[in-house]
Amino acid sequence: MVKTNNLTFKYKKEEAVFSFPSINIQEQENLLILGKSGIGKTTFLHLLAGILQPVSGSVVIDEVDLNTLSHAQLDKFRGKNIGLVFQKNHAITSLSVVDNLKARLFFSRKTIKPSEIDFLLEQLDLMETKNSKVNELSEGQLQRLGIAMAVVHEPKIILADEPTSSLDDENCNIVMRLLQQQAQKNNANLVVITHDARITSSFKNVITL
Amino acid sequence: MNNWTISLKNLLHKPLYAFLSIFSLSISVGLLLGIQQLDSSIQNQFTNTLGNIQMVVGAKGSPLQLVLSSVLHMDNPTGNIKYSEVEKLVKNPLVRTAVPLSYGDNYKGYRIVGTTAGFPKIYEAQLLKGKEIEHSMEVVLGNTVAQKLNLQIGDTFLSSHGLTKNAIEEHEQSFTVVGIYKPTYNVIDKLIVTNLSSIWDVHHHEEHEEEAVHEAHEEESHDEHLHDTHKNEDKEVTSILVSFRNPMGLMTMPRNINTNSNMQAALPKYELERLFRFTGVGVKAISWIAYIILLISCITIFISLYKMVRERAFDLALMRTYGASNFQLFRIVAFEGIVIVFIALIFGFLFSQIGLYFIISLFKSQFQQEVILTFSTVNMLNNILIVVIISMVSILLAIFPILKMNISKILSDEK
Repeated sequence: MVKTNNLTFKYKKEEAVFSFPSINIQEQENLLILGKSGIGKTTFLHLLAGILQPVSGSVVIDEVDLNTLSHAQLDKFRGKNIGLVFQKNHAITSLSVVDNLKARLFFSRKTIKPSEIDFLLEQLDLMETKNSKVNELSEGQLQRLGIAMAVVHEPKIILADEPTSSLDDENCNIVMRLLQQQAQKNNANLVVITHDARITSSFKNVITL
Repeated sequence: MNNWTISLKNLLHKPLYAFLSIFSLSISVGLLLGIQQLDSSIQNQFTNTLGNIQMVVGAKGSPLQLVLSSVLHMDNPTGNIKYSEVEKLVKNPLVRTAVPLSYGDNYKGYRIVGTTAGFPKIYEAQLLKGKEIEHSMEVVLGNTVAQKLNLQIGDTFLSSHGLTKNAIEEHEQSFTVVGIYKPTYNVIDKLIVTNLSSIWDVHHHEEHEEEAVHEAHEEESHDEHLHDTHKNEDKEVTSILVSFRNPMGLMTMPRNINTNSNMQAALPKYELERLFRFTGVGVKAISWIAYIILLISCITIFISLYKMVRERAFDLALMRTYGASNFQLFRIVAFEGIVIVFIALIFGFLFSQIGLYFIISLFKSQFQQEVILTFSTVNMLNNILIVVIISMVSILLAIFPILKMNISKILSDEK
């Protein structure tokens, strides 16, 4: 469950103040937030992830108000409960695919069986690259690794920032299908923020910034 | 998976950076540890060699040369002095021991020292086998000499004139090995010890032959008794090693000898301290070079870690989104630096020991001096502490930006 209330944000040394609509997503619901470039989509996502602190308003995830958490508690909370997917997918370059997933679990302070990691890799068609270095992966494989990293720790909310913007229609559909599958599998809320209107049909709940 | 594993994998991801940092830091650690260990080992060795020798009396010349030749057996003697002077010194109430030394011969480069029973006592040398010298032309070998020359009890050899290996000017009278000392790890291990009369006999025999040639036509009715008396008065030694009964001797005798005789008295402790002051300049210079290399290697560590923090800013920001705290990132990057420093300390120590092994071998072959490596734990810990502090400062400076890292900006900019 994700709820925001009158969120506003202002970057240091900048005049503009961003105001965001309040949202309320119930269990297993997904949300698409559409908006043009420069309107503050990524800022909103970072506020939801607790990466940025709002000037006013609140973000409540699973009945925990992020404003009430200390930095250390926020780091822990984010690690355990939030999965992030970025437009340009990255992973820790010095680690292999499987080590990236293990590192993700380590930072989340969660443990899962190796067989579960393998199962996830199978689902995302990454099994063959299990021991490959990140820089040996294709763009598509990297994208799927990004999704794996966002869901391996079984988060309560998956936040995706422009996950399909640079993809063709076919790959756009694949990525959206994978994200929704993984969210459903983990009983997690999926929040996608994008300017890509192609994926509007995949969501019941859509908000335009 | 843990912080250490991530650090190690990061380190191995850029092996050249890691190698350069470890290599340069190892060199500076090796130089620092090596030069100071060598310096203190040589000082210890020289100081041990002094034993209880408080004064050396010899022919006038350089006091340092007198000490080097008579105490450390490294240099040529300054000349000879009358044996009668030894007898006078022995009788002096301020003197506890006066050990005469006479040399001028060697066997295969090892010095033959004519002396008295007091000489091995200075170094607490004990017989490993055989017996002490009883007659002229008997020798007891220092342990290293016996081993290197493979000489056994009962073996005989002909000595050569001079203090360096020389097969041309061999004497005709042979020495017989009657004993071998246990190892003392002191200068006596490298000496062939005999009594004074052996040296006098070898040289008297030669002088006698020369005289026989030159004085063949002189009167046969030479008074034999008077001739012997004349020879006794002419007996010479190279130097006398003196220890005193009380500090009064040390305060008065050297000045008295230097002012009122044609001999010189040198104080070995003072002369060696003077020598160390000269060599200390070299030690200091090398130490400063090592400190400069240390600084450069720490700058290398700083640059590589700083560059890593900058280049992998997105990786670090990602880790924050995964739930890693600032402190955890701090530790991961710091561990990389710590691993570099730790490996460099081990390699530096190994470099220093390998370097010292070669230097000591050189010292052994060039100066016939066995240097026992002494290990000053305090000195080593001091040096390690300096290396660790400077390295840690450079590591902290390099990873400080992590604390100021703006994850949101890094993640947004990467798009």
